[in-house]
Amino acid sequence: MKQTYTQDELIVLIGERDQKAFAYLYDHYSQALFGVINAIVNDTEESEDVLQKVFLKVWNSFSMYDPAKGRLYTWMLNIARNLAIDTTRSKHEKIKSKIQSTSNPVYENTLSVSEPSHNAIGLKTILENLNEDHKTIIDLAYFEGYTQEEIAKKLNMPLGTVKTKVRQAILVLRELTKKEFLQ
Amino acid sequence: MTVNELIASGMLESYILGTTSRQENELLHGLFKTHPALLTEVEAIEQSLIRASARSAKPVSPAVKQKIMAGLSFQSEGAPPDKTISLHNDEATASKLKLYGFAIAASLLLFITSFVYNILLQKQLDSLSSEMAQINASKSVMADQLQIQQASLSDLNNRFQIVSNPKVKTIALNGMNSMAGHSAAVHWNAETDEVYFDVSQLPQSPAGKQYQLWAIVAGKPVDAGMLDLAQTHAVFQKMKAVKGAQAFAVTIEKMGGSAVPSMETMCLMGNV
Repeated sequence: MKQTYTQDELIVLIGERDQKAFAYLYDHYSQALFGVINAIVNDTEESEDVLQKVFLKVWNSFSMYDPAKGRLYTWMLNIARNLAIDTTRSKHEKIKSKIQSTSNPVYENTLSVSEPSHNAIGLKTILENLNEDHKTIIDLAYFEGYTQEEIAKKLNMPLGTVKTKVRQAILVLRELTKKEFLQ
Repeated sequence: MTVNELIASGMLESYILGTTSRQENELLHGLFKTHPALLTEVEAIEQSLIRASARSAKPVSPAVKQKIMAGLSFQSEGAPPDKTISLHNDEATASKLKLYGFAIAASLLLFITSFVYNILLQKQLDSLSSEMAQINASKSVMADQLQIQQASLSDLNNRFQIVSNPKVKTIALNGMNSMAGHSAAVHWNAETDEVYFDVSQLPQSPAGKQYQLWAIVAGKPVDAGMLDLAQTHAVFQKMKAVKGAQAFAVTIEKMGGSAVPSMETMCLMGNV
């Protein structure tokens, strides 16, 4: 008997420490968050470790989630993104401190964060259907957690244009995933 | 801004990506209530992102979920009771079942052991109680013997006290007629007039007859009582008190005795 929950029900139940509701949350969001984590970490085993940390953090700091600030998925996405970025950062730090002990670690770290490797095959195929602008914008906005203002600055684009492009990119994703979903 | 313009502006996507401001969020949350179509749109956008990213990687190993679910009750205090965990955590259920199995096996073993032990104890108890019965039996035999010994000792003591008293005279009575060769003794306290007769030396009296003791006082026989041979313990039989006796004699009389002694049945006689 597979029970379904609305987002509001999930929030209440998980707040009441309902493990069944939490299992449902995991079933519905784990694969997507894993995709995001894997796009940043780029290692299946490590990504699974991060995913585990993400859900335990979601459970343990659930009282921190404020529905007034946005969607539950958005909150979890932020946690996943931050933990994934922390993991690659500490990994890069280790490697870089071994190889180039003379270089400025702050500068190197900044570089490592802004140069993630999104070579997950599935995502690549989907993103290939987007033009270059849309692809970059989705990368930055979704996988790296850039704000649209930051993207506008980085790409030297008006904020309105960035917002429209994010919208267009997601519309394309929607069409693509809808098609896949129907197949 | 109309709802359609708002959708076209890309604000909903920003909202899901978490880049909208607090004021924008408040505005949107208000609009979601009045325009359910906006919320439907938000959910559709979210779903497309979720689907796209879900397809971007290999399926997650089921072990991750198990680890997470197992970690929940471990990490958080005040977690709800275990019943919910058992629905999702097969490992925990399996280990619980294993534990139950052990518990059942252990209690079964305990039961058998205690059962066997009980039988052994019962056997031991049986043999102990029969031993106890034997001991009790021999104890009562010994108690009886002791009682007899004590009785004879006290009798001896009594006799000794009588005999050892310097005021008591022991008069030997010699057998005559039918009892020639026999002898008996009378112990007489001349001060208190108490008379004791040792019946242990007398043979059984003839059937329907009884021995009677006489004291000769001032030449005349005075009844001093009937001798009772049935008294086995008190062999020193206390007789009637006699004052100023010169001699003692025993005759064989009819049951209950006679007022006057029949001289022809006199069988014992002794002077003081």
